[in-house]
Amino acid sequence: MTRLSAIPGLPPLLACLGLLAVWEAASYTFGISGLPPAHDALRELPVILSDPESLLNILASIRRMLVGFALALAFAVPVGLMMGRSRLVAAFFNPLLMIIYPVPKAALMPVIMLWLGVGDASKTLVIFLGVSLPLIYHSYQGARAIEEKMLWSAAAMGLSARARLLRVVLPAALPEIMVGVRTGLVLALITMVTSEMIARKQGVGDILFNALAMAQYETVYATIVIIGIMGFVIDALFERLRAHLVAWADPVHDIAVGST
Amino acid sequence: MTAGRRIGEIALGVLPIALVIALWHGIALSGIAPAVLLPAPAAVFARLIQQIGDPNFLGQVGITLFRLFAGFSIALVVGVALGLVATGSKTFESVIKPLVRVLAPLPKVALYPAMVLILGFDDASKIALVVADAVFPILLATYQGTSAVEPKLVWSARAAGTSQRAVLLKVVLMAAMPSVLTGCRIGLIISCIVVFLAEMITSTDGLGYLLVRAGRNFQTVDMFVPLISISILGLTLNAAFNMLRAWLLRGFPEER
Repeated sequence: MTRLSAIPGLPPLLACLGLLAVWEAASYTFGISGLPPAHDALRELPVILSDPESLLNILASIRRMLVGFALALAFAVPVGLMMGRSRLVAAFFNPLLMIIYPVPKAALMPVIMLWLGVGDASKTLVIFLGVSLPLIYHSYQGARAIEEKMLWSAAAMGLSARARLLRVVLPAALPEIMVGVRTGLVLALITMVTSEMIARKQGVGDILFNALAMAQYETVYATIVIIGIMGFVIDALFERLRAHLVAWADPVHDIAVGST
Repeated sequence: MTAGRRIGEIALGVLPIALVIALWHGIALSGIAPAVLLPAPAAVFARLIQQIGDPNFLGQVGITLFRLFAGFSIALVVGVALGLVATGSKTFESVIKPLVRVLAPLPKVALYPAMVLILGFDDASKIALVVADAVFPILLATYQGTSAVEPKLVWSARAAGTSQRAVLLKVVLMAAMPSVLTGCRIGLIISCIVVFLAEMITSTDGLGYLLVRAGRNFQTVDMFVPLISISILGLTLNAAFNMLRAWLLRGFPEER
């Protein structure tokens, strides 16, 4: 068992196969039309992926997610770092963030739709909002935990305040920021799907709920599998990137959060 | 920290919230945005206060709360149990770890249609979604916390004649309490968010449904009321949780 689980990628693969087997068995045991057998749903996968329209939908979803995520990264990390280094900035932003935190960002969708319409702008904005909060929070925690001595040394060597933020605070906070990035990626995916479920125009969420409304249950499950694969691939790619960027740091044990 | 400074910081923190409300009021007043798109804050808060006295509205809040707590409690029991078992047994660990690796990054909202198909449109599918979303942070926090417990604590308890299972419950879980509670707090806020979303997607009652219904009828004032309610609900739950946490962690001076 130890030797088997040492092969990289094998345990998750076995877990996938196990889940599929449970699904298959459950569908035969219950025999309800709402739970088609796994192989029927998987047979729908190539159909969806070879249909140019649904492919465009999926790509549009990914594009919105990346744009929203990039904007959030550019905004949230500087804000978080400044909060971590200045008590005043932290005191200014903290209560506001506390109020916003429990509001599901996708729930703002109906309101934002009134202002910006059902197009890309409102969905990207919702993704931006959803991703920003964990990014700010983790950048803040990372910047706050920096050893003061490093900053003093940098100041003694004549680095300006801005250079210190960029060359000392940012690298030192990077492992913690990475935790935020990972949470943010999961959130971006969730917010993407949810916003498309609420504003049905195009995208993966739209395919999913249209199939549900038209009782094409195999398509419903196949889309769920596609979204699941997207989540897993993003997570795995991120793991690579993090290993590359912060190889010097102790692996931070993080709690993968999926909130919306 | 001196009292004066503390008050100064609180004042500074209230400032952006006041600014947001002032800006909101200004925009609504100036007439750039018609009231259909952006109602005045005074109108929204007046409506909120009126709604709080309305038994029908409170009933909807109650439904949302019931789903939230039902889902969170199940996630709590399952998450802590699985996390403990994964620490306690190598066999379970090798099964649970890859499963979590595959399932944790999956957006659970995407599973919601499947839950609706299997469990129906009622409470069960919404509670199932809350469980699916809240269980992973609790499980991971429990697992990480319990596997980081000082082995000497376990050895001492074993030497004193405590059984393997009792050690897991009485020593390991207790020592990992700060980490477990961190996972619970994340799980609680997530439950709050997810229950609202589930009610928005398919529902005939609850706070999320109130938002969607108001949106369909273009009653903008009524759209803001559920949003503010869920924010207040989340803040209250968070505050209550912090009090519970301070009490539970009274043996961990450094964690409070």
